[in-house]
Amino acid sequence: MIMAALVLMISTGLFFFYLQAVCQKILRRQFSQEFFTSIVNANRLEFPSVRKAIEDFGSPVEYSRLTLTLKCDFLALTYLLKNAANVNQRYSYEERLLIVYFRVVFTTLMMCHWLKLREAPVALKLTAILEYFANVVGERVNTVRFGNLTASDYLLNL
Amino acid sequence: MLHSGDKLLSYGLEYAGCGMEALICFLLAREGRWRHLKGLYLYVAGLFLLDGVGRSAALNYFGQRSRQYAYFYWLTDVLLALGAFLLICGFFRRASAKEEKFWSVVRTLLVFVFILVVGMTGLSLSRNYSHLFSKFIVEFSQNLYFTCLVLNTLLYVMIQQLAIDDEELGLLVCGLGVQFAGGAAVLALYHLTLGENFARLIFNFFNPACTLGMLLTWIYAIVKTPEPIPVGSRSGKAALVEAVAE
Repeated sequence: MIMAALVLMISTGLFFFYLQAVCQKILRRQFSQEFFTSIVNANRLEFPSVRKAIEDFGSPVEYSRLTLTLKCDFLALTYLLKNAANVNQRYSYEERLLIVYFRVVFTTLMMCHWLKLREAPVALKLTAILEYFANVVGERVNTVRFGNLTASDYLLNL
Repeated sequence: MLHSGDKLLSYGLEYAGCGMEALICFLLAREGRWRHLKGLYLYVAGLFLLDGVGRSAALNYFGQRSRQYAYFYWLTDVLLALGAFLLICGFFRRASAKEEKFWSVVRTLLVFVFILVVGMTGLSLSRNYSHLFSKFIVEFSQNLYFTCLVLNTLLYVMIQQLAIDDEELGLLVCGLGVQFAGGAAVLALYHLTLGENFARLIFNFFNPACTLGMLLTWIYAIVKTPEPIPVGSRSGKAALVEAVAE
């Protein structure tokens, strides 16, 4: 019984560890260029400034503003993932997995705040997920062309 | 007892798994990557034949509550776990391809562990064959899965420690980890609760869901990560020369 309980605890821990590792490996995917900048500019997303603040000052901006910013960017990007230059109008499996991962990490951020633990590493993880989403949207949009302009150029010139 | 909705979900997960197994075989064959991933190809083909075809045929022929189906299910489970053990050994070889001395030590250890596991498996099964469907088979499978999980985790740690830049291998190892960790946890829960209804329900859904998770991770690894160029090959050298020239 003790052995079974030990196996249950270790295996459950490792199960979540491997799921997290899969998400991190998906996030490490290399894109041919930085597609996310055009999407950030066109949609006035704020996660790069959050990241910059954390990298420069070591701690995120005010907590309520941080959560609101990340949540709004997440909603905007998930909408774009589903609807911008997406013929099927649905998420892929890895996007679904990363959406769940974002929600889990976001809950971790809230728990870190309540328990007065360091929020910066968790917030950086969230910005990495948002950057991946923006890169995917940018890559898709970049393949659609309007005359001589790519869709991202078109959006910027509006 | 499963309700019709639960049955539908359980069958759906199992058939989705079979579909994914067939898809992986097709993808590896179409892109010619089976040469580079022979171990994986053999394991998935075995999984498809035993899990997808064999178990479905046994289920249809003998029925879910028959002793024959139960024997077939658990014995193929042991075979698949041993196959996965060999697959992990193959991944160890790939991870230590550039460290010949290290590999010679690891190889000796792996051979020793494999002989030990096969010996223990054979001995335990032959001793308990007459009362296979007691607590024994659950505990036995749980321990076998956990051994594979520990080995897989050691491989993962080794990849991190040696800073091996092989995204495909990393994803394949993570996929196996999901399968073994989920499997071992569910079997341990089943063992602890002495096969209570809710543990049975979790076993029926979670096991195929973990297999599906592993297969989806592997499909992602095959489709989205570039094929590694073998060191010393002509195309590899040509690519290196081009990169330097640029």
